[in-house]
Amino acid sequence: MTVLILTVPEDVTADLVVAALHERAVPVVRLDPAGLPGEVSMSAEYISGDVHGFLSVQGRLVSMNSLRSVWIRRPGTPGADATRRSEQPEWLTTEAERALYGALRCVPAPWMNHPGAAEQARYKPWQLFAAHRAGFAVPATLITTFPQAARKFAEQHPELVVKSVSGTHPGNPPMVLPTTVVPPDPDFSSVSAGPTLLQEYVRKTADIRLTCVGVRQFAAAKKAGPDQVDGRFGSPEDAQWYPVEPPARIARAVRDYMDEAGLAYGAFDFAEDCDGTWWFLECNQSGQFGFVELATGQPITAAIADWLARDGT
Amino acid sequence: MRAFALFHARPTTPDAFTTLYTYDCAQQLNVLPDGRPVISDPVMLLATGSTTSTAGSKTHFDD
Repeated sequence: MTVLILTVPEDVTADLVVAALHERAVPVVRLDPAGLPGEVSMSAEYISGDVHGFLSVQGRLVSMNSLRSVWIRRPGTPGADATRRSEQPEWLTTEAERALYGALRCVPAPWMNHPGAAEQARYKPWQLFAAHRAGFAVPATLITTFPQAARKFAEQHPELVVKSVSGTHPGNPPMVLPTTVVPPDPDFSSVSAGPTLLQEYVRKTADIRLTCVGVRQFAAAKKAGPDQVDGRFGSPEDAQWYPVEPPARIARAVRDYMDEAGLAYGAFDFAEDCDGTWWFLECNQSGQFGFVELATGQPITAAIADWLARDGT
Repeated sequence: MRAFALFHARPTTPDAFTTLYTYDCAQQLNVLPDGRPVISDPVMLLATGSTTSTAGSKTHFDD
């Protein structure tokens, strides 16, 4: 039984798990959907209610029915390589995506994470909804294109941050959009030019990253500077990550969130305030974990490998 | 009109570290020029930022 890993070749974080699976003598096939068609080939046959499928990449051939689990890490866009030299590139991308993921959805193996759950979990408004339901403390948040609504929200919450709704950064030209404090007396008229996410600013004492793998939870903290807003954009000389124990109510809420979302893996970001409250910021369903493991020694790679390799799945 | 959030965006800074590894399809791992797996050098992994929470921002939703 083989573990299928979908990710780009340069994903060295996936390397950690590939090596751990090698150590466990678990067969692995790693491929990038961007290579379909071309470097990656597939076939799925539908006969009398059964589906028999195969994937091939760089000399490796695997039956879809022999998959032990599927890990979607950081896959490229299906068909991306071929579309550079093909007519109708957008159509070909759709064809490749539907063929590959459609066939894989017939596989009875467990996913980390299932594409349907992953798609839902990427929506930040849904994350906030699910976080409330799970019992996390969630900062007041507004997503709006109404300038007047933004002004009213700013009156209620004098200290605000603005962040991307999608979690992506502007690409043309390439820019970064860190979570940023909104200066006093802002002109909100341009809110009408695009959905804007405003959130009550939590003055934090630490960033918390909690990585959940199946039922296992690994929490780590990093002290925050007095005016530090987005911990992702600090300098390498900033404070280091260290392991912490999640409070019991947080651990419960994480379990409830994961169940509600149907996720096997999630990377939760919290801001800890001076009272010790962990404020939910987001849950990245494919968030990075290498930097935490390298800094803290927490066995996240081993937990992922164990989940993917478990028997009887 | 420019979207409100874009007033708070800033240009990306070029990567200071050149990727020194290549993918080895036989091992299904990235390797250094001397053939060692990249993951055998955790100091370099941290230095390149390739495992950090901004590493995926360029191409993926999730950090």
